Amino acid sequence: MAERTLRVALAGNPNAGKSTIFNVLTGSHQHVGNWPGKTVEKKEGFFEYRGLRVEMVDLPGTYSLSAYSPEEQIAQEYITEEHPDVVVNVIDASNFERNLYLTTQLLEIGVPLILVLNVWDVAQQLGYKIDVEKLSQLLGVPVLTAIASKGVGIAELKEALYRAAEHREEIRPREGLVKYEHALERAVRQLTEAIEQLPDLEGYRPRWLAVKLLEGDKHAERVISAHPQGAEVLALREKLKARLKHTYDDEIDIAFADGRYAFVRGLSRHVLTMPHRPPTTLSDRIDRIVTNRVLGIPLFLFLMYIVFNLVQTVSAPFMDWIDELFSGPITAWTLAALSAGHAPAWLVSLIADGIIAGVGSILVFVPGLMVMFFALAFLEDSGYLARAAFLMDKAMSFLGLNGRAFIPMILGFGCNVPAVYATRTIENRAARILTGILIPFMSCSARLPVYVVFGLALFGAHAGIVIWSLYLIGIVIASIAGWVLSHLVFTEVQKSVFVLELPHYRMPTLMTLWLHTWEHTSEFIRKAGTVILGISLLLWMLLNLPWGVKNPQQSYFGKVSSAIAPIYKPAGFGTWQAAGALVSGFVAKEVVISTMAQVYLSEPTSTAQAPAQLHPLEDLKQIVVNFGKATIDAAKAFLNVLTPGVNLFPKHGAEVSETGLSRTLSRAFTPLSAFAFLVYVLLYTPCVATVAAQAQEYGWRWALFSIALSLTTAWIAATGVYQIGLLLGFH
Amino acid sequence: MSNDGKQIPLSRLEVGKSGKIVRVSAPPNVRRRLLEMGLVPGENIFVQGLAPLGDPVEYVVRGTHLSLRRKDAANIIVEVNADGS
Repeated sequence: MAERTLRVALAGNPNAGKSTIFNVLTGSHQHVGNWPGKTVEKKEGFFEYRGLRVEMVDLPGTYSLSAYSPEEQIAQEYITEEHPDVVVNVIDASNFERNLYLTTQLLEIGVPLILVLNVWDVAQQLGYKIDVEKLSQLLGVPVLTAIASKGVGIAELKEALYRAAEHREEIRPREGLVKYEHALERAVRQLTEAIEQLPDLEGYRPRWLAVKLLEGDKHAERVISAHPQGAEVLALREKLKARLKHTYDDEIDIAFADGRYAFVRGLSRHVLTMPHRPPTTLSDRIDRIVTNRVLGIPLFLFLMYIVFNLVQTVSAPFMDWIDELFSGPITAWTLAALSAGHAPAWLVSLIADGIIAGVGSILVFVPGLMVMFFALAFLEDSGYLARAAFLMDKAMSFLGLNGRAFIPMILGFGCNVPAVYATRTIENRAARILTGILIPFMSCSARLPVYVVFGLALFGAHAGIVIWSLYLIGIVIASIAGWVLSHLVFTEVQKSVFVLELPHYRMPTLMTLWLHTWEHTSEFIRKAGTVILGISLLLWMLLNLPWGVKNPQQSYFGKVSSAIAPIYKPAGFGTWQAAGALVSGFVAKEVVISTMAQVYLSEPTSTAQAPAQLHPLEDLKQIVVNFGKATIDAAKAFLNVLTPGVNLFPKHGAEVSETGLSRTLSRAFTPLSAFAFLVYVLLYTPCVATVAAQAQEYGWRWALFSIALSLTTAWIAATGVYQIGLLLGFH
Repeated sequence: MSNDGKQIPLSRLEVGKSGKIVRVSAPPNVRRRLLEMGLVPGENIFVQGLAPLGDPVEYVVRGTHLSLRRKDAANIIVEVNADGS
């Protein structure tokens, strides 16, 4: 057991390889959560080395530290308030100078520091020569080199941390290392002296506070104004700022940035030699093809086609397997156990139709999510995702979004749930939320069965056009909503700047991809899963209470549906059956069809009955065999995806046609009311799983906003379709 | 070239040309972001190429490849370099 602990924070630019170093060091000893009150991911982990327990926090990747964006605020507050023992600053050595900007700010804070020059191999390929020892001397902190993706330099980092635990004060940067231009430096010193007079600064460096105050940083202002004698300092700050205005006009921020870059350039002159003409690297050659004016977009669309199909088809056999596992053996075993224990009928129904079905409906998302997280992590870590955003930015800017929104929107056509999680790759928070709110308008694959059943029942040969038009309506509505929201609600998006770094390509490591996939999938099960299960249980209660109802119309569900129904009168489908199907469609959109079958054909709501005999061993064998079959099917699907146009393994058997339901539907709906209903199904509330994902990613406020927006939009659109249709003489 | 030494918005600098950043005149939030990404007065900036749809534009500053929309690049004033590279 370790007796001593060292608390370490990892800081660095996005793309510097922080996560890789974190993963290599902590392995499976890590935990992903959110920063308190924020929807920014917090990764914590630990490892032990020579009896020392090192606890690590992976801070959000930032280009600078300030109270400006949530990520920067978290990083700055953690370093200055939580007082980690050591900060490890991960630097992309192939982007040396830009990465050192953040380093200057860490030096100013004055926290014990270790620099890791990562991606050392790429820097070498670029012909960079960096004098590591000299850099270490000049800054007074240890400097290491690493190629984290290959595990190079990790042992040295552990050793450096071990030594840091002993001699922490020796690696604390000197005060006043970074100096500013004459007039600015004088103001900083004057303010520093005033701050030094304040007793008890809780570990804040006076000079850092002075710099931050002059920069107008909210965090530093809060620290000073909380102080009893803080008002004098703030008054002096105003005086100094007014004086600086004469010299710098309103460009004090530029003067500070300039000072930091001047420091970086000064360092570079001593430690870095770059070749006069940078060599053409493999990364440059890849970029010539990938961002080519002619080839770029077709290549991107082809890649998207592959990713989309991987998420859809490769996960499908596993989804079927999970579905069968829950509806088959697990239900059967549980029922047998319950009947052996003489459980009351309501309990049997609750467990079988409520809990087991609910858990099954959560786990059924897992295969698709895993494939999506894996594919997305690969694209992100390899550097391609930034190029995709570069290619598609102009197309997305019309919706008030940026290029990074394109992939999540496309994924939305498969399933909205992974699509919402995919918005994490969008840096700007407002743009991220806006994208997440527009995603539900992308018609996901769960809505397709509803279109197909209605299409075949009411539109016959024109079913194809009807279905196609629904997809189009979704895109048009998303465009309109995007334009309106970005001008009315998310005005921040319009005002912000879209700077994108195009990092050098690199090969992601399997371990990092797997950890990323696993963390996010398990997070979904824990967080979104809870919400989905809760709503499933609520719906079970609605359907089955008061206990013993024979006809669904008499259940609470029927009563709620009847109460809602009149709202849909103007849209042409104001019946309790239609309303009821919509209510249960909240759980998952394809449920609309099974509910309709229940309420129109009055099929029994519960099928929970104990089987006559149990064959646990055979069941187990069957589960394993089926899993093997699913794996083979997935592998076949994978090969099919990689050879588009050629179907190596054609599917056999046709879809089961629901003729009984078709006949009923063609009596209950007219083509016009059916179309209005389908438009409503397309647009109305995102399903429970999507809402849970939105709540997890953006907070409940925006999840509820999304529900309200989509319900309103859907009602207006469906009513519009129906009323205009009537005026035009359709029926 | 008649453009040599002239001060123009970065958005009007042609592909394959380079210039020296003279001024970054954007609203404070935008300016901060541009500064921390390395777009500081005095730096050389090279126009690498355009996205297939004509916007955004890829630039190289001190070895870092950055993509900027034209409307944002218009906030940055550059002095066109004489050698054209």
